[in-house]
Amino acid sequence: MKHLLTGTLLACACASAATAQDITLGRFFGACEDAGNDTKASVGEACIIQSIINAADAEIEGVSIETLPTDWGNYYDQIKAAYAGGTPPDVHVMHRHRVPEFAGFGALAALTEDDLSGAGIDPADWTDSARDAVTYNGEIYGIPMDLHANLWHVNMDLMAEAGLVENGEPVLPSSPEELLEHARQLKEATGQNYLAADFAQFPIGVRLVLALMWQQGENIFSEDGTATIDNDAAQAAVETITQLFAEDLSNPQLNYADSQQSFLNGEAAVLVNGTWVVDFYTAEAAKEETGLDNYYAADFPTLFGEGATWADSHIWVIPSPVKQDAEKYSAALKVLAFINEHNVDWARTGHMAVRNSVLESDEYAALPHRTEYAGTAEIARDTPPAENYGAIQDVLNRELQAIWLTDKPVGDALADANIEVQDLLDR
Amino acid sequence: MPKAKSPLRRLNETQSAYLLLLPFLLTYGLFLIYPFFRGVWISLHDWNLLQVAFNPDAKKFVGFENYVRVMWGRNIEWSPWARPVLQALGLLGIAAAVTLNRTRRLTGATGIALGLAGVALFLIAGVYAGEEGRWFDRRFWPTVGNTVLFVALTVPGVTISALLIAAALNRETRAMGLLRTLFFLSQVLSVTVVTLIWQIMFSPRQGLIANITELSGGSPITWLTDERFAMAAIVIATIWWSLGIAMILFLAGLQDISKDLFEAGALDNCTGIRAFWYITLPNLKRTITLVIILQIILHFQVFGQSHLMTQGGPNDETQVLVRYIYQTAFRDSELGRASAMAVFLFVIMGAFSIVQFLVGREEKD
Repeated sequence: MKHLLTGTLLACACASAATAQDITLGRFFGACEDAGNDTKASVGEACIIQSIINAADAEIEGVSIETLPTDWGNYYDQIKAAYAGGTPPDVHVMHRHRVPEFAGFGALAALTEDDLSGAGIDPADWTDSARDAVTYNGEIYGIPMDLHANLWHVNMDLMAEAGLVENGEPVLPSSPEELLEHARQLKEATGQNYLAADFAQFPIGVRLVLALMWQQGENIFSEDGTATIDNDAAQAAVETITQLFAEDLSNPQLNYADSQQSFLNGEAAVLVNGTWVVDFYTAEAAKEETGLDNYYAADFPTLFGEGATWADSHIWVIPSPVKQDAEKYSAALKVLAFINEHNVDWARTGHMAVRNSVLESDEYAALPHRTEYAGTAEIARDTPPAENYGAIQDVLNRELQAIWLTDKPVGDALADANIEVQDLLDR
Repeated sequence: MPKAKSPLRRLNETQSAYLLLLPFLLTYGLFLIYPFFRGVWISLHDWNLLQVAFNPDAKKFVGFENYVRVMWGRNIEWSPWARPVLQALGLLGIAAAVTLNRTRRLTGATGIALGLAGVALFLIAGVYAGEEGRWFDRRFWPTVGNTVLFVALTVPGVTISALLIAAALNRETRAMGLLRTLFFLSQVLSVTVVTLIWQIMFSPRQGLIANITELSGGSPITWLTDERFAMAAIVIATIWWSLGIAMILFLAGLQDISKDLFEAGALDNCTGIRAFWYITLPNLKRTITLVIILQIILHFQVFGQSHLMTQGGPNDETQVLVRYIYQTAFRDSELGRASAMAVFLFVIMGAFSIVQFLVGREEKD
């Protein structure tokens, strides 16, 4: 009897070792129903990432991946609630700017060089900025997937009509005054708006103002935690944009979907948005029915002293509790390695790759519009690390919206933003 | 031979009552009473959601500091004319309660409730941050104000439209039955679907409303990002959504009114609008009170409409209390502070529940 029992137990143990290790995966980027396994054919962030995940699920032996349903807008709230409830996903995506918050509390597993090389990930291949993105207090807490930044998406036909094309490239402004001039010129020639962006909901307007502050060598707060929003640089940055609203050369009331639609309809010459839409706009421009036919993806222009554009990185991490289960941890690392391996596929979205070997490859150089915004990696910037980045960004978004949507005086809004950001930094 | 009594038969009435109540009491205690007291307890701590999850000792008892930091400020003063309009409205409420009670047009509890509401408005609206002073949390009271405004617009909107629709549909024909179902249908949708429908409706590019305005020659309104229309937009969506239950309650109330009353009224030439005013409305008084109070309690908890349609914007114009609690707890991880706000919300809703209890009891007498 005893032998029989041990035998059964052993059989069970073998069987469970043979079955696949289940990995739950949390991500944003939106839903894609039929992504398939082909990582070279999918279009758009949602479908490209899902095709990579599906391929990982199919190709990594002994690992099966379940993508959890999460919603873009509430992603971090859901993830935090999952951590607080003790059930975080086994691997999940996040932004570089959230690392201090999560790693600061010990929520993320530190990945040693041995772990990484054991799984076939070579950190030496990562660009310096990518390595910085996943490093916190000297430890590596994840693998970087991209560098993404704000671009100027350009409708070349409208620009040509306004005489703003030279040698097949758009002529972009080099000062706030020139911006206003170009915008007037374009309105005159085409009757359309010069610039569109989501100034009303999603913080694209915040990122625009941030870039214009960095271009003047200023920031919204210093490393030592002092808010520095109420100054001439911020005033100049904001007024660079409000001068367009004042003359009806841009509409502050469009949200993300509406501003994008106005660009695709040919009702705006420039759309300020991230690298994540380059492949989508390329595909849209190829369609007969869209108003956008001739699409160009340009670096964010330098309107003040130095070049700068808002940037961030998507990174993949493993929660620290997963490390307690060696088999699960190793399976999770395999998933990260697979994503790292497919860096060039993810770059098809329009994002910049993070591996030097990919950046130097012909396949990468051949991606559409890639050379047009080759300067963006150089000028990519972000705010200093802060644990309550989300709340700080929200304050700026609210006060900037107050300026362009409710006519709050710029000085009052910047003073209020300064007080509130300082409150958050002091908490 | 006498049969042996089953164990259940041996219980007396009270014991079996408790036994039958037990499953309910357990669930109620576990999912409502316990979380409530735990919430109060958390509100007395400096409690970071993520930090405490990884280190249970990371919380710190701070007493009422969260309440102070949320609701109070530096150099807070009171004056009888800080917000003259609101405070005058409060005084008016007190005066109305006193006179109506004297002339016996308002009964005890209702009079007291109106009077207390007036006193509360007069006192609360008089508080302001003095010179050099400031609120510690500059968003909390404006957020409460937005929530009250939302309730003040939505509740009459739902009540009046549901009442009119119910009165119009209170007939026993097949078409009316179909229309009743149609009007009720919106109620079964989840908030995500409702907000999605209305975001499309309100969209200045593809929305139905924008198309109609353009047809009639106007330029489309950007409902959700215009400070003048954002609150109206979420109120309209909410009225459309929550019409159903109120309508069903009114229909039930209408069918309770004896046909004899209308027949007697018709003999005295009281029909149509007059019958509605002199017979229907007075007989529906209890239902109307019930609908209003239920709606008040329900709509103070508004979250999805603001969160999904406007993200609280533009410039916090549609930021509501539950969304602020949610953001504080989950985005900012400040669970203690969020719990303090939640306790505040509980007090408001508790006050309305007490009013409902008092009014309900009075009408039975």
